[in-house]
Amino acid sequence: MLKLHNMYKVYRTDEVETVALNSVNLEIEQGDFVAIMGPSGCGKSTLLNIVGMLDNPTDGDYFFFDENVAQYSESQRSAIRKKNIGFIFQSFNLIDELNVSENIELALLYHDMPSAERKRKVDEVMDRMGIAHRAKHMPGQLSGGQQQRVAVARAVVGDQPLILADEPTGNLDSVHGQEVMETLRSLNAEGTTIVMVTHSAAHSDYARRTVSLFDGHVVTDNLRAA
Amino acid sequence: MIWNNIKIALRNIRKNKLYAAINILGLALGLSIYIFGGLLVKYEQTHDAFFANSDRVYTISSELAADLDVGVDTLSTAHSAIGPIIESELPDVDAVARTISDEFLVSSGDKSFYQPLRFADPSFLEIFDLQFLHGDENSLSDPSGIIISEAAAIKYFGSTDVLGEVLTFDNEYDLQIAGVFADVPRNSHFNSLPIMEVSIDMVAPIKALVRIREFDEAGGYNNLSLGNMTYVMLPETLGIDWLQDQLDSIYERIVPEDGKESVQSIFPLPLLHANLAIWDTMGMPVVAVVQLLSFLVLVVACVNYTNLATAQALRRSREVGMRKTMGATQKQLLAQFLVESVLIAAIAMVVAIAALEVVVPLFNNVSSKILTLRYIETLPWLAATTLLVGVFAGLYPAWLITRASPIDALRDVARKGKSGSRVRSLMIGAQFAISAFMLALVSIVYMQNQKIEEGSYIFPRSEIYNLSRLNVDLIQGRLDTLRHELNAIPNVDSVAWSSQVPYEQSNSSTKVSARPADEAGAFNMNWMRMSPEFLETYDIELLAGRNLDRDLSSDLLISDEETEVVNVLVNELMLASLGIASPEEAINQRIYLQNDEDDESLLREMVIVGVVPTQNILGLFNSEKPWVFAYWPETFRMGSIRITGGNMLATIDEVEKVWDRVIPEYPIQGRFLDDVFNDVYLILKYMNMALAGFAFVALALALIGLFGLAAFMAAQRTKEIGVRKVLGASSAQIARLLVLQFSKPVAWALAVALPLAFVASNTYLNFFADRINSAIPILLVSGAVAVLLAWGTVAGHAIKIARSNPVLALRYE
Repeated sequence: MLKLHNMYKVYRTDEVETVALNSVNLEIEQGDFVAIMGPSGCGKSTLLNIVGMLDNPTDGDYFFFDENVAQYSESQRSAIRKKNIGFIFQSFNLIDELNVSENIELALLYHDMPSAERKRKVDEVMDRMGIAHRAKHMPGQLSGGQQQRVAVARAVVGDQPLILADEPTGNLDSVHGQEVMETLRSLNAEGTTIVMVTHSAAHSDYARRTVSLFDGHVVTDNLRAA
Repeated sequence: MIWNNIKIALRNIRKNKLYAAINILGLALGLSIYIFGGLLVKYEQTHDAFFANSDRVYTISSELAADLDVGVDTLSTAHSAIGPIIESELPDVDAVARTISDEFLVSSGDKSFYQPLRFADPSFLEIFDLQFLHGDENSLSDPSGIIISEAAAIKYFGSTDVLGEVLTFDNEYDLQIAGVFADVPRNSHFNSLPIMEVSIDMVAPIKALVRIREFDEAGGYNNLSLGNMTYVMLPETLGIDWLQDQLDSIYERIVPEDGKESVQSIFPLPLLHANLAIWDTMGMPVVAVVQLLSFLVLVVACVNYTNLATAQALRRSREVGMRKTMGATQKQLLAQFLVESVLIAAIAMVVAIAALEVVVPLFNNVSSKILTLRYIETLPWLAATTLLVGVFAGLYPAWLITRASPIDALRDVARKGKSGSRVRSLMIGAQFAISAFMLALVSIVYMQNQKIEEGSYIFPRSEIYNLSRLNVDLIQGRLDTLRHELNAIPNVDSVAWSSQVPYEQSNSSTKVSARPADEAGAFNMNWMRMSPEFLETYDIELLAGRNLDRDLSSDLLISDEETEVVNVLVNELMLASLGIASPEEAINQRIYLQNDEDDESLLREMVIVGVVPTQNILGLFNSEKPWVFAYWPETFRMGSIRITGGNMLATIDEVEKVWDRVIPEYPIQGRFLDDVFNDVYLILKYMNMALAGFAFVALALALIGLFGLAAFMAAQRTKEIGVRKVLGASSAQIARLLVLQFSKPVAWALAVALPLAFVASNTYLNFFADRINSAIPILLVSGAVAVLLAWGTVAGHAIKIARSNPVLALRYE
């Protein structure tokens, strides 16, 4: 599905140069559930941002469904991103001025989809996530776990084949964190590819494969025994 | 998508009520001022459009000779001889008509009023389609007839059905009412404010003026007055360029040399511009200034909004990041934010219109104008303004927030960083520059007006009671008796007669020289015709020689057709023009009038018997002029009664009784010289009030913007402030830090605004001969006031933040 080849990402200011990713090679197949782990500052989020086409690499190739998107412009990346990738963030990133159903609908708003179709898909995913009863509530009225469920619903409503989750349980207690992980597992079981950054070893066990980073390098890439 | 954007915009407004209120009210204020200014300008620019032929009618205007020095370069009037010349020389024009203004005591039964009226050629009614209630457009053809307005008919007769009724002029001449017309609407040059005293309520044929005043129907070249107009109506096939060519030819071929002395060319002005031209005779472009200031206030309001919206937009960085992550393009996000700013502008416009619905009628009441908000006509303009303001004010913050990459937006890099801070500083500076500029200008105008007012106290204006309209034969014949009787009243110190009194904007001048027939050395001098008591009445001292003596025949100018040589007084400025070194040397020197060979005047020489100081008799923006003071009783039209001590009201009462006894045929017309001054000073006062109003609004907007920005920038520095406090900074040091961050843009704003204000104020001050010494101290003080106001506005926030608990600040981060 996606292949990173000799990927570099360097952040430069006037005085400082930071190599966030250093010659990273990584392949992820469709249907994979990959956990990316490593200490703070090792480049996990940078890697996720590049995989999610939120950022460009400084050097190297990135093939997404056999298309090299490494040096694409933001508008080109945006077009691919909205069709193929859903995002789940640690801090949920729900929009406070929109209610639950509107936050979920946001993922479909830029797809040239008729509003009736959008509504149908939103209702469907809310039912699936068990949050339909909160449809008109604002994010401020929800618990952390509920907010993250809304974020998950937003990430999947467009039937994107790839979900990127950046520490999705980081702001949740263990119970709600577990709920989110179960949701991701069932999504993966349905065929969605999941790439997840996590600090939690327990949560990384939900993944079938663990990639460890250290100082911008891939150190280990292990399949978990079934 | 648009509905979605509107929904989010409304929710954002609800969520951030304080900022939304500041934004909406600031824009509403700017829009109100702009729309009001636009209504006022449009009103002044569209006078007379209701006349059916208005697009074919022109007024003949005069470009004045450069050495005339009357404060303006052009007048929308022409010599009275021009009209008949045009009629005889240009058969292709459809109609030509003059109006000559005059004033009479008009009576009907027991009702008498001093009434200004116009005398007009019969074709006046071909040019102006007055709406007749009784009579018709032929009503001016009878030389013993007169047409009056509805208001005048009610005033004199209590009814409009008054055809055939008689009005008596100066107790002597009767004119019969031949027509009653509907009142001319206020938005006509006939009712223009600067010439309000020349009413259009009565119009009589010029032939009546011939009978009453022995007016020469062929006209002459000795008088230019705003109340005397010449109108030309062209056929549709001819235009203004053709008329200009014809007028140039007439001026070259036919206008005699004495006509060319005061007027160097004549030109046509479309009727629709006549009102503005009358305003321009104030000496400054009043209407253009109003237009500019109202636009500047709107700019300040928009910049204010932009600044505040930028600060608020940066808070929505994460939302932008999420939307971009979901696939939104920059264009789509720009559209979202612009919809929000246009919505705010639309709400502000509604508030502005609501405010104007209250303000406009109040203004109309006070000013006697008829501004109206015609929604159907102005809707496109209002809609376009709303759209332009929304886009102009909202474009920068929208661009700033949407240009970030998704990842930067999600990390809130813009808010935490210095993104846009230079532009924000620029905008604060721009707002402040405009406000400081206006504040400086207001201060200059105010000080200059004060100077004019203080300068007017060279004459004891609160102690002089003026009588007017003495230029009636019957009254003239009784002036001596009147003077004796008035002098007998206790507290009356002196009584004088004259052709004019100080501050009246009457430039009666003639060309004179130090040697006979010396055209090259001739210069203009102003005439003051006065009785000898004038000097004592007005506290005018003699520098040399003696005062005029009513018992000396050589001091008396019977008439310029009977007297060849007369003794006069002059002011010091005359001496400079005559090449005389000192007042003492001036005594018995002669002045020669530059009369043409065909001039009927016999008066050739004047002998100087006394010299008085140079004083600014006309006042206001006029320069001091060379004046000659002659004892010429037949020209007296004003009286001046000097009253000192005692009960002023009781003394006036006695004056009125004396008048009623000596001249029962005419009602007294009296007022203090204070009121004469205040009447002409009024325009300057209004201008200053208007300018102060604009400046106040602009400054208020700038300070509101500064207030909002201070809050935002203090919030941005929460963590820094918390860290500084933990490290030991005092509240005073923190407050100073926050206040000083605004000082740079305010400082450069002053560096731009004050020099510009200096240039603008010099342009304004150049209208005046008597000016304040230097504008620079005033500009510096107003700059200091602007800075103090800015600091005061920011200090409130700064002190609050400085006193806050550092732990809360750090925990928040």
